[in-house]
Amino acid sequence: MRPITLGRWGSRSATVILLVVIAVFILGPLLWLAMHAFATTWTYPNLLPDGLTLRWWSVVFENAQLGEAVRNSLFFAPVTVLVSAVICLPAAYAFSRFEFPGRKIFLIGLFATNAFPKMGLYVTMASVFYGLHLMNTALGIVIVHVIGTVVFMTWIPAAAFSAVPRNLEEAARDVGAGKFMVFLRVTLPLALPGIMVAVVMSFLASFDEAQGTYLIGAPTYMTMPTEMYSLVLNYPKQVAAVFAILLSIPSVVLLLITRKYIMGGQLAEGFQIR
Amino acid sequence: MSSAALKTGAGTARRGVTVSAEARRSSLGFALALPPVLLIALFVGIPVILAVGFSLGFTGGLNETIAAIGLGTVEADNWWGTLAVYGQVFADQRFLRDLSVTIVITVVSTLLVLALSLGIALYLRLKGGWLANVFAGLAVVPLFIPVVIASWAILNFYANDGFVRTFLSQFGIDGPTWGYTTVAVVIGSVWTSLPFATLMAGSGVQAIPDAIIDAARDAGAGVTSIVMRILLPMASIPLIIATTFTAIGILGQFTVPYFTGPNAPQMLGVDISKYFSSFNQPQQAVVMAVVVFVLASGVAFCYVWANFRTAKKEGRV
Repeated sequence: MRPITLGRWGSRSATVILLVVIAVFILGPLLWLAMHAFATTWTYPNLLPDGLTLRWWSVVFENAQLGEAVRNSLFFAPVTVLVSAVICLPAAYAFSRFEFPGRKIFLIGLFATNAFPKMGLYVTMASVFYGLHLMNTALGIVIVHVIGTVVFMTWIPAAAFSAVPRNLEEAARDVGAGKFMVFLRVTLPLALPGIMVAVVMSFLASFDEAQGTYLIGAPTYMTMPTEMYSLVLNYPKQVAAVFAILLSIPSVVLLLITRKYIMGGQLAEGFQIR
Repeated sequence: MSSAALKTGAGTARRGVTVSAEARRSSLGFALALPPVLLIALFVGIPVILAVGFSLGFTGGLNETIAAIGLGTVEADNWWGTLAVYGQVFADQRFLRDLSVTIVITVVSTLLVLALSLGIALYLRLKGGWLANVFAGLAVVPLFIPVVIASWAILNFYANDGFVRTFLSQFGIDGPTWGYTTVAVVIGSVWTSLPFATLMAGSGVQAIPDAIIDAARDAGAGVTSIVMRILLPMASIPLIIATTFTAIGILGQFTVPYFTGPNAPQMLGVDISKYFSSFNQPQQAVVMAVVVFVLASGVAFCYVWANFRTAKKEGRV
């Protein structure tokens, strides 16, 4: 039994204050930026913009260079996911279901990509890319993007495959289903949420990748994130705000779809080597 | 008797079959797992080895092009190379200053991320309810936003004409300008690292059975001792993973400090890119990258060690 209700009120209001602080910390910058996309001008220290306009949106849509960046991004991200899935998903299954020499070493080796700081890694990759004539090529960019997705595409699906109950597979075998049918009808559907999370994370990793793409591809291939770098310097703040909103749309949509699984632990599960 | 002999005979025969089936499965698994490993070996392993060589002055082979393009490339004068470039870099006061700033930002941000994510995870585990879910939902939002956008949004939010100063000025307070300062870099690092750490900590703490917590409560344990003696030790592996990934991510980050940080002192991720692209001194950039690698591999070691320790405890190795 609680002695005094005052203490409860105190902790209750402390929690609410904390909630407001965290909400402002997380959402504040995004809302502040989004408001700029519709502002004519904004005079400090007014809390609201001087006027509202959609002019900046047409500036973005009529700019051919920005349009090309959008097209490049929409090309590289799906290609990356496809290549990464073909290379990594069979491996994910193998890591989950097969015992073979070198399994542990392989799993840790894949982690190497995440153990090395990205910028250092890209610089070292670039020096090899010069030697292999991959600088400023689409193939070079795809390689950089795929490298960034390998951990997602192997670890998360591997954990998902491991989580499929074996007795379900055995039951299907007992009623006469072949190995392939069991995989197609039992294992794959049950592992699908994990694979979806991996696909979405990989898509976003490619879609958001800026450092490596800039180093390897600029100025021949500009994607939306790399275009942001120059946009911020060369255009009014409002144009960059519009572009930022556009760039966030795919991420938000995709993650809202898979939010349930990501929050449900599919992502976290994948990062514990088994 | 004959049936026993028969049985042994069948047993050996079956064992012979299983061994070869096992060997086949094992080599199939190996073959399936090989492609991503080869990819990483080819485009991460070899570049890292070559880069270390290049930093020591080995300019042949695949390093030839970059050595020719770069300015002030030093060549090896010994069989093991030369430390001249390391000497150059470490003699530079600006590098030493940036190195220490990088380490300070990494440590401070990682601790803040850990505290926040752990607080949310524990609140969610011990108290639950809609408020806890709102906290957790908020903490995961940054996962939805590209880092480029986040960095730029944070810069504007804390800039001299940003929201924080605008809001405070309504009450006649002259607020701080954090845009283009190290404070903004820490804020940006915490912002972008929070979701992953929260998911890891959350899943770690959530996995602990209610029965254990209830038993401790019945035995008279308070919240503090439940957290310190049960929740933290039992969730230590996910927490170590969260910490190492956060630290490594912040250590080598580029976008956040590039957008929100000052020109000097700057994090090494930005320095590396600057030396590589703007100054065209790839060898110096690679030396800095090696320094960051060494720092990161120390952190990475903790991660691998933590994973193996649990694997051993649970009898999986």
